[in-house]
Amino acid sequence: MMVTILDIIIAGMLLGGIYALIAVGLSLQYGVARVLNIAHGEFIMLGAFITWTLYTAFGVNPLLSLALCGPTLFLIGYVLYIVLFSRLRVRAASPGAYEGNSMLACFGLLFIIQNLAILIWGADIKGYSFFAFPVDFAGARFAANRLITLGFAIVIGLVFYLFLARTRLGKAIRASAQEPEAAGLMGVNIDRVLALCFGLGALMAGLGGALISMSYKIQPTMGLEYTMIALIVIVLGGLGSIPGSFIGGFLLGLVGSIVTYVEPGLALVAYYVIFMMVLLLKPKGVLGK
Amino acid sequence: MLEVENVSTMYGRIQVLWDVSLAVREGETVALVGANGAGKTTLLETVSGMLKPASGRIAFRGKRIDGLPSHAIVELGISHIPEGRRLFPEMSVRENLEMGAYLARVWKDKQEILDRVFQLFPILHARQGQLARTLSGGEQQMVAMGRGLMSRPSLLVIDEPSSGLAPLVVDEMFRIIETLRGEGIAILLIEQNVQQTLEIATRAYVLENGRITLEGASRDLLHEDLIKKAYLGL
Ligand SMILES: Nc1ncnc2c1ncn2[C@@H]1O[C@H](COP(=O)(O)OP(=O)(O)O)[C@@H](O)[C@H]1O
Ligand SMILES: [Mg+2]
Repeated sequence: MMVTILDIIIAGMLLGGIYALIAVGLSLQYGVARVLNIAHGEFIMLGAFITWTLYTAFGVNPLLSLALCGPTLFLIGYVLYIVLFSRLRVRAASPGAYEGNSMLACFGLLFIIQNLAILIWGADIKGYSFFAFPVDFAGARFAANRLITLGFAIVIGLVFYLFLARTRLGKAIRASAQEPEAAGLMGVNIDRVLALCFGLGALMAGLGGALISMSYKIQPTMGLEYTMIALIVIVLGGLGSIPGSFIGGFLLGLVGSIVTYVEPGLALVAYYVIFMMVLLLKPKGVLGK
Repeated sequence: MLEVENVSTMYGRIQVLWDVSLAVREGETVALVGANGAGKTTLLETVSGMLKPASGRIAFRGKRIDGLPSHAIVELGISHIPEGRRLFPEMSVRENLEMGAYLARVWKDKQEILDRVFQLFPILHARQGQLARTLSGGEQQMVAMGRGLMSRPSLLVIDEPSSGLAPLVVDEMFRIIETLRGEGIAILLIEQNVQQTLEIATRAYVLENGRITLEGASRDLLHEDLIKKAYLGL
């Protein structure tokens, strides 16, 4: 019995690491840049497929692909923000109108990226085997790739936290999230900071996707599920709170592993129920003030 | 130093400022007074780039600044301490102040400037680790003032620093402004305490319904009938 509980907790952490990473990405895009990026999962899918292609076609180590997916997706996100979202922001009549318009634009992106992916990679499920051998960890057995994923998620999360907490740019990001106009008065180029946040969100998605491809099957339509999960996590952790998203990711991972233990098919249903309950009972998030 | 010429500003189709002209010379303290809703805040926001004027021209040290974004205007040496303080609520006092030194050329000296600000506002030194939203109104205003000083501005534009504060804190605020004036920083000040403001300002402008209706040396304005009736309650 003890072992089972420990199993479930560890499995929850392993799942939670991924959730935390992709939720922090969405949190940057929505909480700071005010773009509810419905296509977040498609960026994750891109990271996964780039990694899969590099591994199966050229034998590139997926861990090396991480270092490639991050910057590539960052660039895509940054440029997208400059050419699309920053223009929408300037043209929008009000912040509310901007949120609506940018979300619709993301819907469009979702379909474009997904269809391009189907054209390039085909619609069927793919996967590869990397570090799939079992290891004993705290008395339970897990595939090595899951542990690698968790390790990377935690390291990336910590590095990012330190970046936000300590650096000049990190402080500018937080200031822009809290009082954008005042940040402008301090000399912060808001447009550039928001583009950076959108780019960093895409970077997190790319890293998340690369990590996901090591342990899970992937396909071009996989994105929506991850977008939903990231969305649920950022609501759980309190909108706009990056640490909240990180912790919320692990919380939801835990819920997922408990529900999966009882009835594997119900994990997504449970997430959705939690989402609704948080929205109705604690709209500022379980971890929010 | 600052020249505002025939500036008109609109919110959508509603015009709020009508052909406003105003100047601040090097090292001068200028007061801008006027009833609630006259357009004082709108004028300061137009100067600092938060709003774009519909027409007219604004120059700072000979360089045209209307139409520039606010991050480019602070770079030139104008620091706007906004109405309602606009602190970063979830950041510590220290981080709020550091954000004031965000400009690349200032950031490297931030510790030195921070020490200077802590000298002016000793209470902020004691509170530096606290989140800004947990401070009292007076302390928040001091953070806003300190933050505005961190960029080493040559012109400070201050919007109602004493609004909502207890009389003792208001006096403290005026003392600080006088200290800054003594250091040669030019100041454009909006204040509800017209008497106190006119006493520390060199010149003053009166804004009514978006138009400048009176201007002159503060000493003379203190004796102007209109000012006495409308703002000093005499
Ligand atoms: N964002 C806004 N949209 C529309 N009208 C505004 C806005 N802000 C201020 N106003 C209007 O502009 C006028 C001047 O406001 P303001 O500059 O804040 O005056 P003051 O600072 O002198 O009290 C007021 O009539 C106010 O209602
Ligand atoms: Mg005002």
